[in-house]
Amino acid sequence: MAVRSPAEYLRLYFLIEAQYIKARLQYRADFMISSVGMVFSSLATLGVFAVLFNSINELAGWSFMEMVFIYAFYMIAISPMQILFDQFWWLRFDVQQGTFLKYYFRPLNMMFYYVSERFDIKGLTQLVLGIGLLIYSSVQLGLDWTPGRVGILILTVLSASLVQISLVVTAACSAFWIVNSWPVLSLAWKMREFAPYPMTIFSGLMRITFTYILPIGFVAFFPSQLFLRPGSVSSLVYAAPFVGLGLFAITYRVWTHGVNAYTGTGS
Amino acid sequence: MRPYLAVARGSTLVSMVYRFGFLAAVLGNVVYLAVAFYLWKAVYGDADTIRGLTFDQTYLYVALGSTLFIVLKTYIDWSLSHEIREGIVAIYLIKPIDFQLYMLASSVGFFLLSVVTVTVPTVLLITLVFGVSLPVSPALALFPLSLLLAFIINFCFDYGVGLSGFYTESIWGISTVKDTLVLVLSGALIPIQFFPDMIRDTLIWLPFQAVYYTPLSLITLPEEGWEHVVRLGVQAGWAVILLAAGRVFYHQAVKVLRIAGG
Repeated sequence: MAVRSPAEYLRLYFLIEAQYIKARLQYRADFMISSVGMVFSSLATLGVFAVLFNSINELAGWSFMEMVFIYAFYMIAISPMQILFDQFWWLRFDVQQGTFLKYYFRPLNMMFYYVSERFDIKGLTQLVLGIGLLIYSSVQLGLDWTPGRVGILILTVLSASLVQISLVVTAACSAFWIVNSWPVLSLAWKMREFAPYPMTIFSGLMRITFTYILPIGFVAFFPSQLFLRPGSVSSLVYAAPFVGLGLFAITYRVWTHGVNAYTGTGS
Repeated sequence: MRPYLAVARGSTLVSMVYRFGFLAAVLGNVVYLAVAFYLWKAVYGDADTIRGLTFDQTYLYVALGSTLFIVLKTYIDWSLSHEIREGIVAIYLIKPIDFQLYMLASSVGFFLLSVVTVTVPTVLLITLVFGVSLPVSPALALFPLSLLLAFIINFCFDYGVGLSGFYTESIWGISTVKDTLVLVLSGALIPIQFFPDMIRDTLIWLPFQAVYYTPLSLITLPEEGWEHVVRLGVQAGWAVILLAAGRVFYHQAVKVLRIAGG
């Protein structure tokens, strides 16, 4: 396989996506309606929080505005999966119908080539909404943003994004072995809904699962603590900026194994 | 009636093909039931009741709510818009059948199958694992009727979104907006009692609450009497209105259909 520099890949990515977006912009109405849908689905859980805090003052020690911050962090962290890796939802069809074979024939990194097939524009709505909410809640909470903190924020958001990407992509890759990965994929996708809750409400098996096995705690709650309660965080929280990289390394191995094991389905 | 019964029987058989997807939904729901248990435990803290509801009432409500979501989902919005896009819908147009009834019959099989396969294990889990008891009261006798009406109303939402496929290429956005509106405004995610009074008093007259709140309160509010009858009346009213609206929409929408060969 040809070795290309990251800069070259970046240039290629922009070239490919520019064409993709031009093609998509023909369906303006579809983009508008999808964006409205995105806003609605993003704000549903937040709406439930708002109603809930109408009756209580705090949830496991967290105020409403702190929950908004965690939720905003969550929205930003799940956006790269939505925007950049959306193509993985189609992997099961490509594997089943044999259209996946074409990805073997380009002098490009296969995962890069596969991911570049789609750029989900409506996901940008979620990202912008998340950033807006993060700024709003930071101001309301009077959080102290130093350049160093902003640096940690970027690092932790990237890491949290990789956690979300790893969970969904690994689930999607099961298609290489079981073809119809929908049950696995939808289950992995559902797990993300539990990420914005304070992990401290769980105990026993649930807590262990969400921390170590399906570590959705690292999508929003643990990294958020670095900014909300920097003085009183558990040592586990400091792992947050790095968990994503480790998980993604595993996911990449699963993908490579799958790609090498795939022989087509005969159709 | 006979052709529709045949369709309903066929759809039951078809839905058995998707048993793994079904299993995943049930498994996902089990995780949700556990998450909801801890979440609402944390919400209640030391409080005995919030907004007049005990923890047991709220948890039972939320747990059965998410279970109903799986049971009531018809996927008609997705399949219908797909069939319109691909031109498959033409097959139905030349058959001597009522389109709306045909669609209703084709989703009733999935509904009946999931009532048994999803509800039974869920109720066992709630009562045995989480130790929340199911109150038995006369109101429970009305539950099957209310569940059927809830199914019809939810079908009407899905059917309406599916019909919008006559006008637009992709229904992702519309379907997502519908799902969100129904889930939040119906009190499926959070009981309607938790909303501020003014919003709650509006919500109880809308069709959304008829999908979840009406049938669920038959179980979780056993002490109420006439209120149940009023809610059932509202529910039946909305079922009639929405079925009629669906017929009008269909006759408008089908006029714009153009199928390019195929």
